[in-house]
Amino acid sequence: MATIELKSLVKSYGRTEVIHSIDLEVPDGEFVVFVGPSGCGKSTTLRMIAGLEEVSGGEVRIGGRLVNEVDPKARNIAMVFQNYAIYPHMSVRQNIAFGLYTSKMSKEEKNAKVEDAAQMLDLTNLLDRRPSALSGGQRQRVAIGRAMVRDPAAFLFDEPLSNLDAQLRAQMRIEIKALHQRLGTTIAYVTHDQVEAMTMADRIVVMKDGHILQAAPPMEIYDNPVDVFTARFIGTPSMNILPARQTGAGMELAEGAPAVLAGLRPADLRVGETPQSGGMVLSGTVTAVEPLGPETLVHFETGGHAVIGSAPGHEIPAIGSTVTAVTAPGKVHLFDPETEKATGRA
Amino acid sequence: MATTDTHPPDDQPAAPRLSMRVRRALWVWGFLALPVLFYSVIRFYPTLDAFRLSFTEWNLMRPPKFIGLENYREMFADEDFWQVFRNTFAYLIMGTPISLVVSFTIAYFLDKVRFAHNFLRALYFLPFLTTASAMAWVWRWFYQPAPTGIINSVLSQMGMGQMDFLRSTTWALPSIMVTAIWAGLGFQIIIFMAGLRAIPTTYYEAARIDGVGDWAILRKITLPLLKPTTVFLVVFSSIGFLRIFDQVYNMTNNDPGGPLNSTKPLVLMIYQTAFSSFQMGAAAAQTVVLFTILLIVSLLQLWVLRER
Repeated sequence: MATIELKSLVKSYGRTEVIHSIDLEVPDGEFVVFVGPSGCGKSTTLRMIAGLEEVSGGEVRIGGRLVNEVDPKARNIAMVFQNYAIYPHMSVRQNIAFGLYTSKMSKEEKNAKVEDAAQMLDLTNLLDRRPSALSGGQRQRVAIGRAMVRDPAAFLFDEPLSNLDAQLRAQMRIEIKALHQRLGTTIAYVTHDQVEAMTMADRIVVMKDGHILQAAPPMEIYDNPVDVFTARFIGTPSMNILPARQTGAGMELAEGAPAVLAGLRPADLRVGETPQSGGMVLSGTVTAVEPLGPETLVHFETGGHAVIGSAPGHEIPAIGSTVTAVTAPGKVHLFDPETEKATGRA
Repeated sequence: MATTDTHPPDDQPAAPRLSMRVRRALWVWGFLALPVLFYSVIRFYPTLDAFRLSFTEWNLMRPPKFIGLENYREMFADEDFWQVFRNTFAYLIMGTPISLVVSFTIAYFLDKVRFAHNFLRALYFLPFLTTASAMAWVWRWFYQPAPTGIINSVLSQMGMGQMDFLRSTTWALPSIMVTAIWAGLGFQIIIFMAGLRAIPTTYYEAARIDGVGDWAILRKITLPLLKPTTVFLVVFSSIGFLRIFDQVYNMTNNDPGGPLNSTKPLVLMIYQTAFSSFQMGAAAAQTVVLFTILLIVSLLQLWVLRER
């Protein structure tokens, strides 16, 4: 059990600085997810916490202890990799036990630990198999098992689900989350998938170009993104961002240099609803529809902008038809066109 | 389709007469014909014919005469043959492990070197590109007595006695073996390095986080994962040492295989039996023995090192 603290953390390769002095405090037992596009520095940050990358400046503290110059093995952390890093020449049992290779436990204790972990991860029947005889999800569970047996102060996950197919990924998300609830260990988890971030995290850390843009609980980020990037990155489909200006009660599309950028979540842009005063109303020609079952995504064009709205599942507008979509008052996110920072709602 | 379509459109090409399967087979065998022909005439036929010739007496002047197992009987009664047999296995049993350990050690550390990595690698590979005979002559010169030979010059300058490298029945074989090991080293290093590179770095990172030491990583991760590479090199280098010829022939060329047959390998004996004594039948019998040894040793190694 441990806290993780990053203070003015910097990483540079030669003269190129890739992490620009980031600060973060992860309290004990928190599940924190680093999310961002590739190259944003999330994996590098995780590898600095693990001790696989040298720290160029600032501090990494685990459980209050400064670990900048501490070997990975002495940090009492465990890491799970994207390609699992389980050894093909060892059985599942040997792989899991490999996490205890340097431990001074007796053989019986080690065996008991391996059995426990296998039980918890539903691997008991597979203990004597080779990794080549396992599915991707099972392999990742073995990797988690190897991390678990060490009772680490913190788990680090580096895109652990990226090599799995969509269905397995959804299943493993739940399993990892359940595991966290059972073990209560601090977890730092890196992903580029915002769905993983939303569904698993106690707190999401959105990163871009080596900066932390926002660190907050998932719904807080969804409801109050600090800038256009975060707003568009979290939530699928992405938020519509349109140039706008204030009219009496609501907002309308603006041309030329806009006074403000209006952000409309597709889920809040209801196609076919009756306009009321306030909010924002958009009309346009339907270019594509994506029926998802419970709702239908409607792509339409308005004033030269491509916009995505949503309609009830069975009310699918015809392509080429004209639709009107409404966003209720208070659901329009406002951003400064210069800085792209959030300025409130309308 | 053709039966229902009474008026096929004009622009559609007529269906080819041969099925796709047949056309593809013809195409493939067209390309394969040349190497197949070449190997049959140049390799397989002489190999098989050697078995037949080993039961004959043939001096190239008269047609071969069938004499049954006489060649084998004579060979196994010949003390020189057993000396050569021992020499051949000495090359194999010392040469293969020593060369593999040395080349793995170099590859292992070279893999970690960043500075001038490509240059160093090229340097190690260079001997492999050099003609065996040229290399043998250079080494032969190294081994000369002082002041000609560089090794003996250094020894005498340090106040030590001279070594009779190539003129001693004890040291000639190891001296030649060093040359042979050195000649093959570049190739083995390159192959080992390719094998090392193919091991994902996350395996090592995971081990580092688990706190496993360098020695344990080498034993538990690197060597087991390198096994396919090692199997290949063991078999490859064993065959090389069993067929050693160039170095021996060129380094002892006043008395090939000498002194007193102490360095003579099987291939050199075959060469002498065939092209100095012109006893083709006896040479063929020796060849059959070499073939059998190669086959048994290779199969044995593959069996010992098989995936379990």
